[in-house]
Amino acid sequence: MVTTAEQALEVTDLTVAYQEKPVLWDIDLDVPSGILMAIVGPNGAGKTTLIKSILGLIKPAAGHVLIHGKSYRENRHLVGYVPQRGSVDWDFPTSVLDVVLMGRYGRLGWFKRPSRQDRELALASLDKVGMADYAERQISQLSGGQQQRTFLARALVQDAQLYFMDEPFQGVDATTERAIITLLQDLRARGKTVIAVHHDLQTVPEYFDWVTLLNVRRIASGVVQDVFTEDNLRQAYGGRIAFLHNGTNGEDGTTAVVTQGPNSVQVAPAIVPRDATA
Amino acid sequence: MEIFLQLFTDYTIRTVAMGAAVLGIVSGSLGTFAMLRRQSLLGDAMSHAALPGVVLAFMLTGSKAPVVLILGAAVAGVIGTLFMLTITSFTRIKEDSALGIILSVFFGFGLMLLTFLQRNPGANQAGLNSFLFGQAATLLVRDVITMAIFGGGALLLLALFWKEFKLLSFDRDFGASLGYPMVMLDVLLTSLLVIAIVIGLQAVGVVLMSAMIVAPAAAARQWTDRLGIMVVLSAVFGAVAGVSGSLISSLERGLSTGPVVVLVISTIVFISLLFATRRGVVWNWIRRQRQRRILRLESVLNHMFKLAEQHDDWSHPHSTAVIQTMSYGRGVAPTLQALVGRGWVTQVDKDLWALTAEGAKEAQRFARRTEVR
Repeated sequence: MVTTAEQALEVTDLTVAYQEKPVLWDIDLDVPSGILMAIVGPNGAGKTTLIKSILGLIKPAAGHVLIHGKSYRENRHLVGYVPQRGSVDWDFPTSVLDVVLMGRYGRLGWFKRPSRQDRELALASLDKVGMADYAERQISQLSGGQQQRTFLARALVQDAQLYFMDEPFQGVDATTERAIITLLQDLRARGKTVIAVHHDLQTVPEYFDWVTLLNVRRIASGVVQDVFTEDNLRQAYGGRIAFLHNGTNGEDGTTAVVTQGPNSVQVAPAIVPRDATA
Repeated sequence: MEIFLQLFTDYTIRTVAMGAAVLGIVSGSLGTFAMLRRQSLLGDAMSHAALPGVVLAFMLTGSKAPVVLILGAAVAGVIGTLFMLTITSFTRIKEDSALGIILSVFFGFGLMLLTFLQRNPGANQAGLNSFLFGQAATLLVRDVITMAIFGGGALLLLALFWKEFKLLSFDRDFGASLGYPMVMLDVLLTSLLVIAIVIGLQAVGVVLMSAMIVAPAAAARQWTDRLGIMVVLSAVFGAVAGVSGSLISSLERGLSTGPVVVLVISTIVFISLLFATRRGVVWNWIRRQRQRRILRLESVLNHMFKLAEQHDDWSHPHSTAVIQTMSYGRGVAPTLQALVGRGWVTQVDKDLWALTAEGAKEAQRFARRTEVR
């Protein structure tokens, strides 16, 4: 692939602080294009803040960001964004198609209304996420999974090169999760890059090529086999992670169990291959 | 009734009605966005904060020209909003408390200025009092023209930036990621809200103006799930409340317009909450009752089918008591009657019921529908 030579995203020395407290400290990232990358880390690690500051929604204290070699301002049209599902009011008086059409607003520019062609693109992308029958549906009637698909359809209609997704799998059922990952893999096959905040450590090796472990600082970033290690996870999650070693089926695997508080139960088990070739 | 006839003949009444219609349409449309963006309280604070602006504008210029007073109101409203933003961003005080502080401090200051003016004879301050509770009857043609110009301008901008305002109201972050200057759009939309408020102050008053921002939108939301329709409906409700409120208040000398307008719009809200076709309480209740009836019908039918399966002949009749033991809750007799009415069950004897061929088919259809897939 020709595109892999190109860097989709370069982040240099990114620091973000709310008042005095740093939320992100001196982050460097180099993400090649044509991959699926997960951003993982405990609550409050700054995952959402990282995405928002790359997109210019939060003003960083220092650092700069390049999207495909240029500033975000210059290459904004190459970027698609899926915010957290819970960040909007789903009782807003509008239809599914209307929400998806918002993905075209960036290309439309000021004052222009969506054209028939925009509507066709929006319907086509609703079809891709399996929501074609819901186009005229009021958005408050959607289930969590359908809301997530609607947001994905809106991002698809942006026709971007680099997608940022904030917890695309949050609160969706297994069927929707499969549908979404198929969609992401389809994007990758077309040379696009997807960077997603992810919570289920167990599925990281299965779903993603690259992973960034984050906890205010960048713990590690790279190919999953290289950096998704017990050591790095321990650094990212601190004392809140427990590893269960097991060797079933002759595979040398490790299960990581993340607990978010002293009394909370296991949140996410993960099979972490210690062998790079596993 | 006579007053509504005079609408077409009496010049003064027509002026008042037109002014009220303008303020209703503008506040209704922009109120929709205020409500959807959860800024209803901001509208209340801004209208109260406008009072010192009105009085100071008069004190400084000695003029009661509507443009002067409206500008004074707008400036004070904007200053109040800026104070509120300053409080929330630089202290730990939350937005609702900040709004409360601004509202009471500005309104109190305004009242103080007003009392001060009244104690100083000579100053021709008559009419300023109507800014408290509103006096639509004092509207002159020049007032209405000023209102129409400001309001029309606000509606024009609303139409022009429709797409952008929708984006701002629904998903601000996404809009920002597309490159739209959301802060600027926010300032613009909030300024339009200020305009909607200040042009209504003379007719409705600072105390109750926020009702004209919140109530029409709340009523409109009950009837529709589309933003465009909601804005139009809200404008219509606002106009109806404004016009009827000001006409009724003009009947009686000294009757303030604000309270009457609030009564009218509250009635519209009340009716909408109860009877709106999609979200109304009454319709929901009727829908639920109907669903419950159908559910009972199908469950009794299903029970009879299960009973019939125990016999060689599925038309074997059973007594009410037997059927009753299988269902819980109320007596099954009315449900059985309803099933007879549909031709699914026949009454064999006084107290004996049997499935019909059609009823057996329906029971099987029901079983298939509810089968676990």
